[in-house]
Amino acid sequence: MTVSASALRRDFGLAWRQLRREFRLSEYLVLIFALVLSVAAVTSVSFFANRVERAMAAQAATLLAADAVVSSPKPIDDEIYERAAAEALKVTEVTEFPSVVLTEEGETGLVSVKAVGSAYPLRGELKLTQQLYGAEQVATDAPGSGTVWIDPRLAGRLQVQVGDQLVFGNSEVTIAAFIAFEPDGSVDAFQLAPRLMINQSDLSGSGLLGEGSRARYHLLMAGEESQLESFVEWFDNSTDANMRLQTVEEGRPAVRSALVNARRFLGLAAAVAVLLSAAAVALAARQIAERDMNTGSLMRTFGASGATVLRVVLIRLGLIALLATVVGCITGYLAQFGLSALLGQWFAAELPSPSATPLFGGLMCAVLALIGFCLPSLVRAIDTPVLQVLRRDMPVAKPSTLLAVSSALAALGLLLVWLTRDWKLGLLLLVGMLLVLGILLIVSRFLVGLSVRVKSGYLRRALESLRRRPDSVSLQIAAFSTGLLAILLLTIVRNDVLGAWQRQIPNDAPNFFLINIQPDEVPDVKAFLAQRGVQNDTLYPMIRARLESINGEPVADIEFNDRSGEHFAERDFNLSYLQEQRQDNKILSGEWWGSDVDSPLFSVEEDFASDIGVDIGDELQFRIADKVVTGEISNLREVDWESFAVNFFVVGTPFGLDDKPASFVSSVYVPDGQGEFVRDLVTEFSGVTALEIGTMLKRVTGIIDRAALAVQYVFMFTMLAGLLVLWASVLASRRERFREAAILRTLGASRNYLASSTTREFALIGSLAGLIASSVAALIGWVVIEHVMELSYEFNWWLWVIGILAGMAGVLIAGKLATRPVLNQLPIAVLQSQV
Amino acid sequence: MIAAQIIAARGVCKSVSTEEAELSILENVNVDLAAGEVLAIVGPSGSGKSTLLGVLAGLDSATSGSVMLLDQPLHELDEDGRAAVRAGSVGFVFQSFQLLPGLSALENVMLPLELANIADARSRAMQQLVSVGLEHRLGHLPAQLSGGEQQRVAVARAFVSTPKVLFADEPTGNLDRATGDKIIDLMFELRAEHNTALVLVTHDQMLAARCDRVLSMYDGELR
Repeated sequence: MTVSASALRRDFGLAWRQLRREFRLSEYLVLIFALVLSVAAVTSVSFFANRVERAMAAQAATLLAADAVVSSPKPIDDEIYERAAAEALKVTEVTEFPSVVLTEEGETGLVSVKAVGSAYPLRGELKLTQQLYGAEQVATDAPGSGTVWIDPRLAGRLQVQVGDQLVFGNSEVTIAAFIAFEPDGSVDAFQLAPRLMINQSDLSGSGLLGEGSRARYHLLMAGEESQLESFVEWFDNSTDANMRLQTVEEGRPAVRSALVNARRFLGLAAAVAVLLSAAAVALAARQIAERDMNTGSLMRTFGASGATVLRVVLIRLGLIALLATVVGCITGYLAQFGLSALLGQWFAAELPSPSATPLFGGLMCAVLALIGFCLPSLVRAIDTPVLQVLRRDMPVAKPSTLLAVSSALAALGLLLVWLTRDWKLGLLLLVGMLLVLGILLIVSRFLVGLSVRVKSGYLRRALESLRRRPDSVSLQIAAFSTGLLAILLLTIVRNDVLGAWQRQIPNDAPNFFLINIQPDEVPDVKAFLAQRGVQNDTLYPMIRARLESINGEPVADIEFNDRSGEHFAERDFNLSYLQEQRQDNKILSGEWWGSDVDSPLFSVEEDFASDIGVDIGDELQFRIADKVVTGEISNLREVDWESFAVNFFVVGTPFGLDDKPASFVSSVYVPDGQGEFVRDLVTEFSGVTALEIGTMLKRVTGIIDRAALAVQYVFMFTMLAGLLVLWASVLASRRERFREAAILRTLGASRNYLASSTTREFALIGSLAGLIASSVAALIGWVVIEHVMELSYEFNWWLWVIGILAGMAGVLIAGKLATRPVLNQLPIAVLQSQV
Repeated sequence: MIAAQIIAARGVCKSVSTEEAELSILENVNVDLAAGEVLAIVGPSGSGKSTLLGVLAGLDSATSGSVMLLDQPLHELDEDGRAAVRAGSVGFVFQSFQLLPGLSALENVMLPLELANIADARSRAMQQLVSVGLEHRLGHLPAQLSGGEQQRVAVARAFVSTPKVLFADEPTGNLDRATGDKIIDLMFELRAEHNTALVLVTHDQMLAARCDRVLSMYDGELR
């Protein structure tokens, strides 16, 4: 059926006029606010992700500081240098490793050292400042010999300035500048130690790098595309597995996966806001549909066809979607500044402006929410019997529940899949969210059922209101407690979980990891530790290795069931060897080896074994530098990772391993004088690095705090959406409330009386929502602490106090705002008209 | 061409099924209405007056029998077909005014013209509102008008498309005597001016007496 342009113009005019007038009605306000809120929640996350993606695309080459990089746990082979020279590629060396520096005042600080050549960076710019956060200059050379450039974070921690001296390895160095921007800096979240940059030529004199130390060697390369291509081709066919080539196209997988995770978590938070907003949309749509039924039947009385009525409804929805998209996108754009401030620095020094792509997502969100949650009710307008204009008591057409529910589910499913960019995860979330909401709804309904039995003079009218509208009140409680639950989980419960974990760490748990101890230093380090009264002086050998094959099958060809298995199989990891079985490792199956073995055997940690899918008797082959070690698995072990003792996924027999390049590691408990301990250790053994566990934990929790803050930020939208649901459901009962209030006032009730009874009603609803949210939050906290982490849960009264107070305050404010017109209405106006 | 016969209804029956039994609302009703004729339908509450009006206007369908409205067989048409017969040719005035609350007086009057795709809807609607004495109320919303004013807007809306027939269901039922009388005078005046046929459902015997013909309904049957 075709529609003439004039008919379309007419329908547009009708829709526009209706909308213009009805726009100020509360139902429309709720509808538009709810849509704006979901669009804003969704676009704030997409704008932020879009900016990060654009930064990554724009800086792809500078993120590597080169066109391609070869990396290896051992010094780069000469062969590689020769080949790069043959291809006329520009090259420069970079070496990275952790270490410790010492100030003149005796302060120590863990640093991530980067030794660079004068050509560094080959792509992009390294920026320096002379004063903290002062004017930036582009570096034209590597740091001069005997000087270092440092991260401002280190300057802050050690209270040092440009010109100050630092003890570093065997030598004393001078701080020449602060690093303002490092193109290939590990700006990801998990770089724990601040940067210290030195000249590559100072490296050999520092005495910091020995056999098997935890250094990473890189060769940065730049050149024409054809030269690079031919190098890549040669590299893929020839080099050993320890060498890794990274090109610009591959980008930086760590940053990319951090972005995927951030987008998922923030997307989830936005999805909950969308779910609740959608509930508000559905509630408001019901009110609007009631109005539309009158309009629809009247229009049809005057000769409009069903299609005309439907078109007018659709055009109006389209206009609303457009308006909500514009306002929502502007709000989302403004809100993303908050997210960028919280998380942006993890990804790039400066984020470019976003592109327009998220606008499309915003529009899609508004349109889907309207189609899924609004359209089924509004379409009733065309099914209403025309006779309704003559007979108000006509039975009204109800929308098909199946249609309403299935369209809502389909819309929500699509939104979730789009938000998480993963259809499996999206559908899982849909089921999960509906389950949570369903459970909250059942609990709310149960509590409402219980409360109405309470006999209380003070709450009499509030309880009556609950009794009259149990379903609507239960929905209000469920919606509001969802928002509150999210916030409580992210704040109080998260702290409880961290607290429980910290409490279980024994007082004498190791507080330092000692790494990079060279084999010839082992006796002296042991003596040093004994002299300081350190109890545990076991030093474990650590060998950098790569898993090459399982039962003769190369790991590259194996399909792992578990993603972490794949991850472990692909990266370098640390092997150790041991003759005697350790007391703190329990053998789960198989047997520990004796001293008479004549071929290598391995002991594998149980979880790791299941991740890579191996069992006793399977054969593992490792590549260690240029040698290969093959052996059978003789036993599986259980390891307590939370003990902070040094542990390994795979431990082998000394046979086959003790002749390989290794460094030694240990974890020790230093009772007091920790600053002195580090200083003396570093002074005596310049290559040894002491990592303070407490500081590392603090940094990790700092990162978790920031991430939680960002997720919380998005959950603000969820709270607001919860309030909107409340507003929408109060509106649904408005007509009844108007009538009640008018009758009560006619009978002599004062405005104060009415106001205080609504106050009690909303305070009651709010405290029930708070009670449910805190109890569910506590339950989740208990499950996580007792059953997932297997620690002991401590009851936190504050959870309830804060939860109930926050619930009361939120519901009271929203409820009072929604019912204000009821109190301000003259009773005569209500009784005479059909408000 | 003006149809000489506006309505010809033969053997109209209407029944609804309830849980207990089949309930008959109209039984074998025959109605004729000539162009320009004024017909009153009177009867006690629940006698089926409004149902008959609905069936004659095509707002409702008969269970059996035939209804010709403006030479169109309503009993053979679906809802949209019946709406098309009404568009631009049939006017309505209801007891509860039935103005759209979101539209101004002027926009309410424009609505039937727009739906019938009639040009210069705005100026014709303005003229019609002037003719019912509401020139100073064009931009007001229904809630800002008195009951009498609202019904005058409804009358203006009914006549604006110069319909061939007007159906009025208790048009004074929600008004006081004096205001009601004014509305009826206005309706009759406009009807005479446009030679519009009128079907009027009312309780009011005095009002019925002003009509050309009166049909009395009792228990779904004409007496």
